[in-house]
Amino acid sequence: MATKNEELIEQVVSAHRARDVDGRVRSHHAWHDLDAAERVEAFEQARLSRTLEAALDPDGLSTTVKAVLSRLRR
Amino acid sequence: MRWEGGAIPQPDAESLLLARVQAGEAEAFAQWAASAEPALRVCLRAFAAAVDTEAVLQEALLRVWQVAPRFKPDGRPNALLRFAVTVTKNAAISELRRGRPTREQLDALEQELARETEARPYEADPFLRRAIAECRDKLPGKPKVALEQRLANGGTDDDSALATRLGMTLNTFLQNFTRARKLLAECLKKKGIALESEVR
Repeated sequence: MATKNEELIEQVVSAHRARDVDGRVRSHHAWHDLDAAERVEAFEQARLSRTLEAALDPDGLSTTVKAVLSRLRR
Repeated sequence: MRWEGGAIPQPDAESLLLARVQAGEAEAFAQWAASAEPALRVCLRAFAAAVDTEAVLQEALLRVWQVAPRFKPDGRPNALLRFAVTVTKNAAISELRRGRPTREQLDALEQELARETEARPYEADPFLRRAIAECRDKLPGKPKVALEQRLANGGTDDDSALATRLGMTLNTFLQNFTRARKLLAECLKKKGIALESEVR
């Protein structure tokens, strides 16, 4: 059974990030509820997750790259 | 330098990819970003306790895309990647300054800025890719579905929306995702692969 903070860490590991009114990528709301050690844990888990995601994607793209691609404008 | 005969010099793969990115080809940018992401993420490690590095990294990649048409390579290898490292660190510093950094965070920041990061593009190992795919195929039902939902969604929706789509509570979805990640790591370990050491 995951603890409350494990669930928060898991949400932060996701590549989903909202935008603010100026279009800037916002911090995940769950990130603010983590302490310093949990934030570092989320960082390390995200690194591993992106490697897994890229390996499982036919084009080698992680969810971070896909999230960015969905927002490209020039 | 003037060409004096022999085979016509061909632009290298990096120059060709950069030209396509500068021309606005999203597919080329995706290819470049996939190879750059691990190095850019690593350069954010010192900031991990102080800023949401995922948000910073996405913002930095968007900035690189925006300024790429005006980018002038310096002739050394991995020019756009080295530029992106600077953009990423600057984005982290801006984000850090928006909060109230502690003395400890500022010291870590100064050390990080003083450190020359040797950034190299990432190349996926086909053996690792195959091993991960095999382990994914062995996942039990719900953890597998949770993992695939996040992969397919590509960060577009938050976990609450993904959970609803699967008929799960957020709590259950997150537990299934955590389980999928742990089972993948265990399966890879049995194959003699420690993912942590693969992505250093």
